[in-house]
Amino acid sequence: MSTFIARRLLLLPFVAVGVTLLIFSLTQLLTPAMRASLYITDPKQLNALPDIIRKYHLDQPVYVQYWEWLRQVLHGDLGWSETAREPVAIAIAGYFPATFELALYSFACILTLGIWLGTLSAVRKDQLVDHISRFTSISGASLPTFVWGLLLLMIFYGHFGWFPPGRLGLQADLFVRSSRFHPYTGLMTVDTLLNGQWWLFWDALRHLVLPVATLTYFLTAVLVRITRSSMLETLRADYVRTAEAKGLNQSVVIDKHARRNALIPVITLAGLLFVGLLSGVVITETVFNWPGIGRWGVAASQQLDIPAVTGFALAFAGMLVLGNLCADVLYAVVDPRIRLK
Amino acid sequence: MLAGVVVLVVAVLMFGTGARGAAGPIQNPDSLILLTYGDPESLDPAYAYDTTSDGIFWPGIYETLITYDGSVLSRYVPRLATEVPSVANGLISKDGLTYTFPIRQGVHFHDGTVMTPADVQYSMLRFMLQDRDGGPSWLLLTPLLGTDSTRDSKGAVVVKYADAAKAVTVEGQNVVFHLKRPSAAFLSILAAWSFVLPQKWAAAHGGWDGGAATWAKYNNPKLQDRYEFDHTNGTGPFSLQTWDRQTKELILVRNEHYWRAPAPLARVVIRTVTEFAARRLQLQRGDADVISVDRPDQSQVTGMADVAIQDGLPTLVVQVMHFNQKIDASGNPDVGSGKLDGNGIPPDFFSDVHVRRAFSYAFDYGTFIRDGFRGKALQPNGPIIQGLLGYDPTLPKFTFDKQKATAEFKEAWGGKLWDTGFHFTETYNTGNAARQIGAQIIKDSVESLNPKFKIDVRNIQWSTFLQATVQHKGTLYALGWAADYPDPDDFAQPFLATNGDYPKRNGFSDPRADQMVRQGAETADPAKRTQIYRDLTKLAYEDVPGIFEAQPTQFVVMRSWVRGWYYNAILPPLANVGFDFYTMSKQ
Amino acid sequence: MSAVRTTSPPLVAPGAAPAPRVQQTTWQRTVRRFRQNPLSMLGLCIVVFFGVVALLAPLLAHPTERNPYMIPHEGYSSDPHPPGPGHPFGTTEEQFDLYYGAVWGTRSALLVALTVVAIGIGVSLVLGSLSGYYGGWMDELVMRVTDIFLAFPGLILAVVIVAVLGQSVRNAMIAIAAVQWPTYTRLLRAEFLRVRDMEFVQAARALGDRDLVIIGRHVIPNTIYPILILASLDMGQIVITFAALSFLGLGAPPGYADWGQLINLSHNWILGTAGDPFQFWYTLAVPGTAIFLFVLGWNLLGDAFRDIFDPRQQGSR
Repeated sequence: MSTFIARRLLLLPFVAVGVTLLIFSLTQLLTPAMRASLYITDPKQLNALPDIIRKYHLDQPVYVQYWEWLRQVLHGDLGWSETAREPVAIAIAGYFPATFELALYSFACILTLGIWLGTLSAVRKDQLVDHISRFTSISGASLPTFVWGLLLLMIFYGHFGWFPPGRLGLQADLFVRSSRFHPYTGLMTVDTLLNGQWWLFWDALRHLVLPVATLTYFLTAVLVRITRSSMLETLRADYVRTAEAKGLNQSVVIDKHARRNALIPVITLAGLLFVGLLSGVVITETVFNWPGIGRWGVAASQQLDIPAVTGFALAFAGMLVLGNLCADVLYAVVDPRIRLK
Repeated sequence: MLAGVVVLVVAVLMFGTGARGAAGPIQNPDSLILLTYGDPESLDPAYAYDTTSDGIFWPGIYETLITYDGSVLSRYVPRLATEVPSVANGLISKDGLTYTFPIRQGVHFHDGTVMTPADVQYSMLRFMLQDRDGGPSWLLLTPLLGTDSTRDSKGAVVVKYADAAKAVTVEGQNVVFHLKRPSAAFLSILAAWSFVLPQKWAAAHGGWDGGAATWAKYNNPKLQDRYEFDHTNGTGPFSLQTWDRQTKELILVRNEHYWRAPAPLARVVIRTVTEFAARRLQLQRGDADVISVDRPDQSQVTGMADVAIQDGLPTLVVQVMHFNQKIDASGNPDVGSGKLDGNGIPPDFFSDVHVRRAFSYAFDYGTFIRDGFRGKALQPNGPIIQGLLGYDPTLPKFTFDKQKATAEFKEAWGGKLWDTGFHFTETYNTGNAARQIGAQIIKDSVESLNPKFKIDVRNIQWSTFLQATVQHKGTLYALGWAADYPDPDDFAQPFLATNGDYPKRNGFSDPRADQMVRQGAETADPAKRTQIYRDLTKLAYEDVPGIFEAQPTQFVVMRSWVRGWYYNAILPPLANVGFDFYTMSKQ
Repeated sequence: MSAVRTTSPPLVAPGAAPAPRVQQTTWQRTVRRFRQNPLSMLGLCIVVFFGVVALLAPLLAHPTERNPYMIPHEGYSSDPHPPGPGHPFGTTEEQFDLYYGAVWGTRSALLVALTVVAIGIGVSLVLGSLSGYYGGWMDELVMRVTDIFLAFPGLILAVVIVAVLGQSVRNAMIAIAAVQWPTYTRLLRAEFLRVRDMEFVQAARALGDRDLVIIGRHVIPNTIYPILILASLDMGQIVITFAALSFLGLGAPPGYADWGQLINLSHNWILGTAGDPFQFWYTLAVPGTAIFLFVLGWNLLGDAFRDIFDPRQQGSR
C-alpha cells in the first residue's frame, strides 16, 4: 500500500510542472500590451501603456518570465495577484475554506440524494418512479447554473426573505470581525459552533441553503445515473438472484448485499465529484456573492492575472491528485478484490 | 436520512427571521450599506486613479485643503485650509503664480497626531513625486512643475527634488504653492486632489521620509509596495476599520475626534456585488441602502416600494466615437483590403474631413440617447460640455441628417468614395450596452445610404482593445471621458491639443487648437476664457476629431429612509453617483 | 415478485418441437429496445425535432443581416417586449427577436456541440489508438498529458483559453474541445486495451495484417459504442458550458443567435420588476426551454444507447 501511495504522490510534481507549463505556453499567445490589461483599468491610463509594460517586464520572452516565476516559487513566493490585491498564497488560503464549506455540504447532499434516487431507480427499473427520478435529476443539469440560482434567489430571498445571498448577515459579519470571535477552521458553520454562538451558526447555515441547493440540483444527475447503472449490474449478479431465490426480503437483499457492491464505482466517482464541485462552484459563487475560490479564479482568468491563475491551478492540481489518491485507497478498502499495484 | 434533512430545513426556516415585509422599521439604523459593482484598487490617495477607490476615501477618509460648496462646482469652501485663496483676499498673487493657504489648527489625524503645515507640504510633494505609471500625479505636476511626468519616455527620472521643493513651501502656518505658469483651473484641481496624510506615519511605515536624497527610491511603486495601499490615516469624518479583500467589503467607522461635529452615521459598509439581481433584491428587502444600477436595468427598480430614485443628475462625462486618422494596417483584421477599393479602407481613411463630417451627420443622436440612455442625456456640441465654463448651447452642432451625410460622402476622396464604397469593422468594448448601441446605429445608418458601404461590428475584450490601442489599430471606436476637475481645460486638452490623450492616439493635430488650449489654461479672466472655449468648440465643429455622441445624466437609487445626501458632479461615482457620507443619516 | 425483469427464453413444454431461435441483428435489437422505453423514444423525438429545425432554419426565420447568425432587431431600446405581432416569442433587451434567436440558435447549438464532439473524437482516435494499441512509453506520455489537462477545473481552463485567444464562437469551441478531449481519449484508450487482447485481433496480427488495417477494420468498430454514449451525453453538456462562457462574457457576441447568449441577455431580467417578478418571463422561458429540451433529449438518447450497448447490462437476452 505504501509504495502505491508513494508512486501516486510522485505524480504530483510532474502534474504541477505540466500545469504551469500549459498556462505559460498559453500566455505565449499574448502580446505585452494584452498582458498589461491587468494593470490598466481606466482609459485615462492608456498613455501609460508602454511604461507599464516596462515596469512589470511584460515584454520579456515567455521562457524568461517562466524562469523568474519558477525561482520565486521555489523560494516559497507564489507572487502577487492583482485581481485579489493580495499575495497569491494568501488569497488561496483565504478563499479556499469558503469554497470548501460550500462543496462539503453540497457533496453530502448530492451523495445522499444521488444514491437514494439511483437505488430507487434501479430497483424500480422502467416503472414510473424510475422515469420521474431520472427526469428530475436530468432536468437539474439542463439549464445553466445561474438560472437555477437566480430563480431560487428570487423565490426564497426576494419573496420570502428566508435565505439571503452572501456568507453572513451584517450583525453576524461585524461580530465575526471583532475580537470576541476566534476563527479556527475558516468554515463558518464549524467555527461558530466552536465559539458557542448559536445565532451565528444559524445565520451561517441560512446563507448556505441556496447555493448548496443550486449545486445539488445541478450535479445530482451524474450520481443518479452512475448509481443506477451500477445497481442494475449488481442486482443482476448471480449472488443477488440466489439470495432472492432463497426467499430473502428484497430490501434486505438491497441493503446488505447489493448496495455495498454497487457503491464501489460510486466511491470512485464521488472522489472526482468532490474535486469537480470545486470547479462547478464558479458560477454559483458569482450569483450568490460567495467569497470563494471559484469566483476569484474565474475573475483572474478573465483578466489574465497570470500569477493568480497559475497559483490557483497548482493548488487545484494538488487537490486533485490527493483526491484521486483517497478515492483509490477507499476503493481498495471497500473491495477486497482490489490489489493496489 | 431524508426526514432528518427536512427537519433541519424547517428548523432553519423557523429560527430564521422569516418573511420580512418590505415596509417596516429601519434596518441597521446607524449603518449605511452600499452595494457597488467595481472594487477599489488602492486606498493610497497618491496612487489611486479609479473612481471606486477615490469615491471611498474622498471625502470620507482623506480631506482636501478646499472643496466645492455642496453641489455648486464654481464656488469653494475651506476645509483643511481656513480660507479660500483669491485675488481679492490677497492669497493669490496678481500674476497668478503664487497661492497661499492658511492651514487650520487643531485638526487631528485618525491616529491622534496633530496635522501641521509640514504634513500638507509632504502630502503634496508625495502626490507629485510618487508618480506611478497611470496614476493621478500629473494633475499637480502639470501646473506646479510644468511637466506631466517625473520621468522621461525611457523611464529615467528627470525631475529634480529642488524644483519640487520650491513649488510647495511652508511659511509659518501657511502652505504656499508656486506655479510655473498661471493656471486658471488650479483651485479646481486642488479642491479635488489635495489629500493630506501625516508625514511621520508614512515614514514610519516604510514610506518616504520627505528628504531630498531619498525620494527617487519611492518613485513609481507597484501597488503592494506602499503601506498606504490598505492602511489609511486621514483627517476625515470616517476612518477605515477593515478592508476585507476576500469578502470584498470595506467598513468605515465614525471618527469621534473629527475637527467638525462627528458624523451622524456610525458606520458605512461598502460591498462589491457584481450580480445585479443580488444587489436589487437586497435593496428590495432593505438589507442594502444604496445600490448601483445601470441605465438599461432602471425599469427594474422603478416603482419599488420604499425606494427613492432621483434622476436627471447632470454629469461631467462625455461619450465620444473616435476617428483614427492614422490606422496601422499591418495585420489588422478591421481594415479589410487596406485600400480604397470597396473591400476595405486605407489607413488614412478618416483623415478626409468629408468622411468625418458624413459620419457625424449619419449618427442618429436622438435614437442613441433615447435607447442607450432612456432619453436621459444631452447631445453635446463638442468637448466643452454643459456645466463647464464656456459651454454655449447656441453654437452649431451636427444633427442626424441623412441628406447632408450623403452629400458629404459624395464629396469624400475627390468624389471617388461614393462609387467605390468601403468595408471595415468598428469595435466596441464588451459589456457596455450604450457603446454597442452606438456602434449598431452607425452601422445601420451608414449602410442604408449606399449598398456599397459595409460596416461590421465587433466586440472585443479589454485586453484586445488595449493591444489595438497601443498599435493604433482601431478604426472607429467609442471611449468616454470623465472630468478630473470641473474646468473646461480638463476637456479641451485631451481632445484638441496635439499632445492630448486622444489626438496622440488618433493622429489628430491642429496647431491653432494648441495655442487656444494653452491660452484658456492660463488666462484668469472668466469672460476671456469663455470666449476662448467657445472658439475651441467651433474649431471642434470644423475639424471633427470625433462624434460627440452624448453627455449622460445620472440617477441614484436609495432606500427612502436615507437622508442628507446631496449631489456633486465631481465626487467620484461609487454607486452611479458620488457620496459625502458626512451629511448622511437614516431616519 | 422480483422487480428485476429478466428476459429468458420461454420454457418449452416437453415433447414439443424446439421453437426457432430468431437471430436479431443489432439494428433490430436497437429499434426494439427503443420502442420498449418511452423515455428513449422521447429523447429520439426531441433530437430529431431539433435536427429538422436546424436544417429548415432559413425557411423558418428569414435572415436579414449579412451574417445570418446575427439576430435582427427593430430599434435598440433596453426593455424586453412580450410576445406580440411580428415577434411571436417576444424580444430581449435591445430588441433582439426571440423567435429568430431560438430557431437559428438550434443551428448554432448543433454546430458547436457537433464540432466539439468531432474534435474530441478525432483527437482521441489518434491519441487513444496510439496509446492503447502500442502501449509502452507512448501510453505513459499520453496518459500524463491527459492528467495535466484534467488537473484543471474545466470552466477555468476554458475561460483562460478564450481570454487568451480572444472572444469569438470559434475560440469558444476550441476552448471547450480542449477541456473535453482527455475524457474521450481515456475512454477510447480503455476500449483499445480491452479489444487489443481479444482473439480476433490476435488472429489478425498472426495473419500479418498491417497495424493500421487492424485498427481500422477490427478495433475501431468494436470500440465505437462507448464513444457514442459519451458523445450523446456530452452534447448537452457542451451547450451548457457554452452558455456559462456567455455568462462570463466570453462566449458568443451579444446579438448572436445562440441560446446561451440569449439566456445571458435575460439574466438581468429574470427577476422582473418589483411589483411583478414574472413580467419578463419570456426572456428566460424561450431560450431556457430550448436548452432544457436539447439537453434532456441528448441525455435520454445517451441513456438509451447505454442501455442497449453497454455490454455489462446486456445480461441475459
